[in-house]
Amino acid sequence: MQNNLLPMIVQLSESGPYMKEADFEKALSKRTAELVKQYSLKFSPQTPVPSDDDMADRLYQAGLDLFVEMGAYNQTTGRRIIFARNEVEELVGRARSRLVLGTGKDAVVMQHRNVESMTPAVVLSGPTGTPASEKYHPLILLSCAQEPLVDMLGAGSVSTYMGHQIIPGTPLEILGARRDAVVARDAVRKAGRPGMHISDVAVPLTCQGKMAAVDRDYGLRPSDAFLVSQMVELKTDYDQLSRVAYLQSIGMHIVDLMTPLIGGLGGGAEGTAVVTVACHILGVVLYDASYHMTSITHLRWVNNTDRMGLWMQASIGQALSRNTPIPALNDIYCVSGAGAEELLWEVAAAAVAGTPSGMNMQGAGCTGGFKTDHTTGLEARFLAEVTHACLGMSRKQANELVLELLNHYEKTFNEPNRGMPFPEVYDENTVEPKEVWLEKYHKVRNEIIKMGLDLDGGWRKVKHGQS
Amino acid sequence: MANLNDEIRTSLSEALAIGDSDAAIAFTRKALEQGAEPLDLIQQVIVPTLTRVGQDFQDFVIFLPELMLAGEAAEKVTSVLEEILFSSGKQTSSLGTVVIGAVENDVHDIGKNIVATLLRSHGFKVIDLGRDVSPSAFLDAAQKEKADVIAMSSLMTTTRPSTRSTINLFKEVGVRDQFKFIVGGGCVTQEWVTEIGGDGYAPDAASAVEICKAVLAK
Repeated sequence: MQNNLLPMIVQLSESGPYMKEADFEKALSKRTAELVKQYSLKFSPQTPVPSDDDMADRLYQAGLDLFVEMGAYNQTTGRRIIFARNEVEELVGRARSRLVLGTGKDAVVMQHRNVESMTPAVVLSGPTGTPASEKYHPLILLSCAQEPLVDMLGAGSVSTYMGHQIIPGTPLEILGARRDAVVARDAVRKAGRPGMHISDVAVPLTCQGKMAAVDRDYGLRPSDAFLVSQMVELKTDYDQLSRVAYLQSIGMHIVDLMTPLIGGLGGGAEGTAVVTVACHILGVVLYDASYHMTSITHLRWVNNTDRMGLWMQASIGQALSRNTPIPALNDIYCVSGAGAEELLWEVAAAAVAGTPSGMNMQGAGCTGGFKTDHTTGLEARFLAEVTHACLGMSRKQANELVLELLNHYEKTFNEPNRGMPFPEVYDENTVEPKEVWLEKYHKVRNEIIKMGLDLDGGWRKVKHGQS
Repeated sequence: MANLNDEIRTSLSEALAIGDSDAAIAFTRKALEQGAEPLDLIQQVIVPTLTRVGQDFQDFVIFLPELMLAGEAAEKVTSVLEEILFSSGKQTSSLGTVVIGAVENDVHDIGKNIVATLLRSHGFKVIDLGRDVSPSAFLDAAQKEKADVIAMSSLMTTTRPSTRSTINLFKEVGVRDQFKFIVGGGCVTQEWVTEIGGDGYAPDAASAVEICKAVLAK
């Protein structure tokens, strides 16, 4: 198969089997439930980090079957884009396993990670999925970019432009996209890391909005990335595919964003895991993605740090690690917010579940996206510390730790601690965390060190190559 | 309803809960043969069953596929009963007409679909406009369908302003007071709904049903 598949994808979008969208959803739900049974996939609340290689392989096969049989639904044409199994397998097999992200001294290498491996995991952070205000967005970005253990920056989203609500498809979207790109570039420059990889400017909802954020001097560059989204579940459209065309043509990284809903069309944890594996395959086949953002989302709490979410992260990570060459990225989404101890416990549990399962790390999405500005760089620092301390850890050990960590926050889901906005937990002038937030950070950090995680030594091994 | 065999009532309820449409229709016909009133079946079996199913969904006892199946079964049974009511010249039991949609530029419609399913199963007539619905499309549908409630969903902060512009359009053409507006979705809060002048905020799908009932009772 040739490298540029877009002509073929458009042709399949125009000629594939027609199906009403509601019927596609019903068929997907039905087939997913059958595959869960057929492959004997079983979620266990007591084992949020399973160590069952065979189940991981079965999960991958179920996801592959689902994608091959259902294809991807093009919402623009109402047709399914279907590739043959051998074509899908060939495309997955030749997917990139190692990426250089960013430029010069600030570039990092994101790579495929094996289960329980010592291969360093890279950490992406920023207010992705947590709304930020025009006023504090630059400071929030700087607070993340200046953290030495944060490898890449997600630029996040601001919904206003000079106080006016940004309406998609209008000039304000273009201006907002360019403004956010400039702010992100400025943040990495101020942090002394001008070549740091920037992953997406999230405000634009249209292809032209994304294109407007590309600016080699002041905005995003080919060494950065834009998200190309999937709509739940296994759906795309011509606007998303047009982004692929543009990004491919300028040599810019493509990030495959998926947001499978726990409790949604896939059903429970097992079915949603099957759908999520299929989403990764869609990202390889249709988007030629450099990396994949696994943003699974609980339908009720809008997080993925509950037992089902953690099990899914671990299982999906293992399934992808053992069966594909792709670098997977765990997008951690929490119910708590900056300034809350619970946020740190949530972040720790997700990092402990995902790292030994072969994932790279992204986070932390805070407050389920409900509170503006309740996000900072300190939880990103903590995420990186925990992630690096988990390298080489066995899944069995990770499971025991996660069960302990869950005790510290899972009872708060119905009445979460949303924490505080940025100016209450960070000094606006020095962009350093205030004592009120640092105290909690040190408290949780010390407790986690007592659980046996080497938060001081882990990152040193990564940065200095000791193993 | 006194004549209705308890066994049939239970069987119909169970068939609805597991989304077995064929069985549910068969039990409905059996109940009718035994003299059950269509309106009683709707109010005393279908609505309570779907309320329980909705609560189970809310509590994560069941998931969206099960909710969709139960909703579909309830819709099919209701349509059988409505046909009978119509042919006998009686009024159907709609609690009101709801025009629902994900607002302009918002392509996320799973939440909206869940709300639509629950509203239908509770006896509302639902006109689903889909996703990316412009303010003028809401207005046209509201007037054409003589709607009681306009239900808007917005997942993202970037699409949330459309909830305001939709209400503003209704104000501009002087029909705002003819309709009740309820708003929900990932980025929507009670504060936002108050700010834009909405009538009700639904934090989740189950509460959307209660909010619709409440705003219509005002």
